[in-house]
Amino acid sequence: MHALIIDDSRTMRSILRRIVVDLGFDVTEAGNGQEALTALEDGLEPDLCLIDWNMPLMDGYTFVTRVRADPRWRNITLMMVTTESEHGQIVRALAAGAHEYVIKPFTADAIVEKLELLGLAAQEVPA
Amino acid sequence: MTVLTEPSSFDVQAVVDEVWTTFLGGEPLVPVAPDFDPAGTFPGSRWDAAVTVSGAWHGLIVVSVNDAVAHAVTQAMLGLDDGDTAAHEDVVDALGELVNVIGGNIKSLMDGPSKLSLPLVAQAPIQAGGIVETCRLDLAWGSHRVWVTVGTRDEGGTS
Repeated sequence: MHALIIDDSRTMRSILRRIVVDLGFDVTEAGNGQEALTALEDGLEPDLCLIDWNMPLMDGYTFVTRVRADPRWRNITLMMVTTESEHGQIVRALAAGAHEYVIKPFTADAIVEKLELLGLAAQEVPA
Repeated sequence: MTVLTEPSSFDVQAVVDEVWTTFLGGEPLVPVAPDFDPAGTFPGSRWDAAVTVSGAWHGLIVVSVNDAVAHAVTQAMLGLDDGDTAAHEDVVDALGELVNVIGGNIKSLMDGPSKLSLPLVAQAPIQAGGIVETCRLDLAWGSHRVWVTVGTRDEGGTS
């Protein structure tokens, strides 16, 4: 599986990369929504996008609306990973087509749990 | 209904603790008696990282650390090995993300809607005109100090 991590912070991309690589994902990184959209236009086919909200050039919300407006990308799972925690913003993102919403700071377990619920990570079976 | 005009020190401390522990683990931050005048000489080479909040609440959140803490934070957040030295741009990015997350969570304590700026990081004091300090945390991280200050726009009635 392939994850596209979209965040203007290299540090945050590195943190998220470590989490999803441990789950077996290949990773591509983008520094903003425009860069990520260009990667999709160029043929990148990620199963998952992890998307920050506040970024220069194109924010994460705009990216979600652009992806959801294009049927070529309807199978991509979109997860917001952001400091935006206002209820109205969360509702906006989910209504625009984001599947999940994670507020920073997060633990690796929180990301893994969300991916398990989305069927993108194997669920641990209790012993 | 109570409208908050500034976040409480207790809430700011809780936010900083959560962010610090989640991203950096290990040694916790411990409140200490204030021993540094922001207008005075900074103890060591200084890094300030700041974000502003604008909207229903106007504020400035600044995290101030010395060079050793700045590099330790960067090393931990980037998962660098002990022998690896963080580059200048990595320190700028890591401190920027740290204050971004702290600031975003402080923003969520206040009435919205409001918008968080992109972070600014400098090796110098970061201040903003018309902003008065309303909360300052003096914290120890091992043998080092960390300062978090929150400022609120002076509406003219602040004394």
